[in-house]
Amino acid sequence: MVAGVLEASLEFLKREFFKYYYENLDRLVPPGPIGKREFGFFLDKKGGMLRHKCFNNLKDFHEFVLKEIPLDIYVSAARYEDPGNRDMGEKKLIDAELFFDIDAESAALDSDESAWICLKCGKYDYGIKEKCPACGSDIEYLETVNEEQLNKALKETDKLVRILTDDFGINSNSIHVFFSGNRGYHVHVNQEEFLSLTAESRRELVDYLLIQGFEEKKLIEVLRKKSLIINDLKGVIGRIYRRVLDSISSGKNEVVYTKSRLLKYINQAIEELKVRIDPVVTIDTHRLMRMPNSINSNSGMAKRAIELKKLLSFNPLREAVVLGEGEVIVKVKIAPRFKLCGRTFGPFKDEEVELPAYAAAYIVCKGMGEYAGG
Amino acid sequence: MEGNVIRAARYPFLPEAREFVSRHIDLSLESLDKTGSEAALKRAVERVKDALILKEVRVTPQHESNYVREMLSFPLAIILVSAISNEYIRRIYSLGESRGAYKRMLRENDETLLFIGERLGVRGIMDNNGFIKISIPTYLNLAYVFHEHRWKLVNRIVDKGYVWVSRTEYARLIQVEVNNYVYEKTLEPIPVTVVPQRLKEAMKTIIETWNKLEESKPSHAISEEAGENPPCISRILKRMEAGENTSHFERLVIATFMIAKGKDIEEIIELFSKQPDYKYNITKYQVEHLSGLRGGGKKYSVPSCRTILANGLCYPDEKCKGVKHPLGYGGRSIGGKPRVS
Repeated sequence: MVAGVLEASLEFLKREFFKYYYENLDRLVPPGPIGKREFGFFLDKKGGMLRHKCFNNLKDFHEFVLKEIPLDIYVSAARYEDPGNRDMGEKKLIDAELFFDIDAESAALDSDESAWICLKCGKYDYGIKEKCPACGSDIEYLETVNEEQLNKALKETDKLVRILTDDFGINSNSIHVFFSGNRGYHVHVNQEEFLSLTAESRRELVDYLLIQGFEEKKLIEVLRKKSLIINDLKGVIGRIYRRVLDSISSGKNEVVYTKSRLLKYINQAIEELKVRIDPVVTIDTHRLMRMPNSINSNSGMAKRAIELKKLLSFNPLREAVVLGEGEVIVKVKIAPRFKLCGRTFGPFKDEEVELPAYAAAYIVCKGMGEYAGG
Repeated sequence: MEGNVIRAARYPFLPEAREFVSRHIDLSLESLDKTGSEAALKRAVERVKDALILKEVRVTPQHESNYVREMLSFPLAIILVSAISNEYIRRIYSLGESRGAYKRMLRENDETLLFIGERLGVRGIMDNNGFIKISIPTYLNLAYVFHEHRWKLVNRIVDKGYVWVSRTEYARLIQVEVNNYVYEKTLEPIPVTVVPQRLKEAMKTIIETWNKLEESKPSHAISEEAGENPPCISRILKRMEAGENTSHFERLVIATFMIAKGKDIEEIIELFSKQPDYKYNITKYQVEHLSGLRGGGKKYSVPSCRTILANGLCYPDEKCKGVKHPLGYGGRSIGGKPRVS
C-alpha cells in the first residue's frame, strides 16, 4: 500500500485507477453471491482499512468503486449470513473458498543493483550496507518485482495445481489461478465439497502441501524391506518414496543404506517436493482476498486471472500492466532497474524522468518517487 | 426384513431405525406418558448407565431380538440426556454409544460396514485389497479428532480426491460420526417442565448413578472463577500447581495447549516446575519437541475434547456446550487487524 506519498502523487494514482476501473467495470466481478461477502478497502494513504463493508448488488459495488476509487479492494473468501457485522462470530460463517498464496522470494542482494533507504533519516543509495552510513540506523532494501523470482513462484504454483487435481481430486474448472499484481500468485478453489472444511481440516491440507508432520520412520521401514517394491504408491508418500529410490539408484551400489542416510534422502526429497504456500492464509477462513482484476497499490499492476492451460507461459510483468501509456513526469529518489511491458526502466537516482503512466505509477506505488506533472 | 430390523436395533442411530420408530410409535412427550413403553424406558436408562459406568453402551443379541424396545430405547435415552442437560453426561453418553457401535461394527462383514458408513454420510468404497477409500473432505472432518501422526493426511495414501483407510480405521471414523450425531441430538433443549412424570423418575435414577460415581472419584472441584481456560485445562493446572504428580497425557495436554496459545517456552517449563520428577533440561527438551523446535519439526496438536474425555479428564462446564476442541472454548474470537492477501 502506498504509504506517505504526496497529495499530488495520490491524485495521480486515483486518476489513473479511475480510468482503469471506469473502462473495465465489467471485469470487476466478485465471487458470488455478492450479498454474502465481506469487502475491505484501503481508501487513502493514511493506512486504516475500511472493512466489514457489504453490498446488495453489483451495481452498488461498482458505484462505490467509482466514487471512492480505492487503492486496494479485497473480498472475503468466506460467505456469511451477515457479512457486514463487525463481530467476526456474529457474521455467521456459511463456508469459504480454499485460498492459497505463494509469494516470490526476494531477489539476492547485488552491490550494483540493490537500493536501500534509511528508515530514520531517509537517506538512500545503491549498494549493500549493514546500517545507514549517515546516521547508523536500520535500512531497508527497496523491493522491485523480480522476474526470475516470479518465475520460481509460478513453478511452485504449477506444483500446487497438480496436487490439487491429482491428489485432492479437485476439478480444474474449480481452480482459479491469479497473479496477485505484485509479488506472488493466488489460487482460489471453489469446489463444493471443500468449501465447508474447518480451519483444522484446512491445516491438514496445508501440512500435506508443506509436508509437515511426515512420518519418516514408517517410510524408512518400507525402504529397508528391499523385497517390498511399491511402484504405485500414491500421493505425497509415493512421490517421496520414488524420489528416494532415485537417489539410491544414482548412488554407488555398495553403499549401505543406514537410517541416517535414508533420512537424509527423505529430507532432500521433502525439500524438493513441498509446495511453498503461506500456511496462515489457507488456514484462515476469514481471510480477505485481493479482488480479481483490481489494482494492487503495491505496484499499480492488477490482480490477473491466468488460464490453467497457459500457466507456465504467463508473463506477469506484461499481462498485469493495466494503467495508461501516456507520458508523465516523476521525480525519482531512487529506483533500481525494473521491467514492465517488455521495456526496461532505470536505474534512476535523484532525477526527473518522463515515463509511461504505468511505470510512473509503479515508482510512486513503490515509494521510490513522486508524481511531478503530466 | 428380519436382518434389517436387527441391524437397525443394533445401530439405532441409523435413519431406518428412526423411520421404524416414527412409523410405529408416537414419540411425542404427551403420549410417552401413556403408551406401554415401560420396558423401552428401562432399557433407555440402562443405555445411559452403561455409558456412565462402562463408557460403552452394550447391545447383546437378547437386546437385538427385542428390536422394537431396543430401537425405541435410543430416542428415549436421548430425551433423558437432553432433559438432564448436564454437559458431562451428554459427552459420556455420546462416547458410550459410539464406542459400543465401534466394537459391533468391527464384527460386521464388509457389506454391512460400508452400508452403515453410507447411511451416516461416511461413504466408503472398498478396493480389491480390502482397503476402503473415502473422500478427502469426509476424512478430514472426522479424522481431525485423532491425535496420532498416522491420521495426518500427509501420512496417508491419497489419490484423486480419496484417502485410503483400513477396515478398522473406517469403523473408527464412523465412530466419530456417531459420537457427533448423538452429541448433537442431546443438545436439543427439553424443558424439564414438559417432561412426563415417568421420564422424570428415569432421569432421577440416572442422576443418582452419576452422583454416586462422582462421590467415588477424587475431587475435581474447580473454583467458580471463570477463567479463559477450559475446565479440563484449569483442573490439570491446579493439580500441577499443588505439586500433584500428573500423568504423561495430562502433561501433553498442558504443553500442547500452552504452545497453541502462544505461550513462551520458558513460561511453559515453569508450569511443570512443581512436578515431583521435574528436571529443567528434560522438560525443556520435551516442550521444545512438542512445539516442533526439535526432532523433525513436527508440532504436536492439542488433543480434542473427545480424546480428553476418553482419558477421563473432561469436566465440562456450561461454556463447553458444543465445543469440540479445548482451543474452541469460550468461542474463538477472531478479528482485530485485517488479514489480507
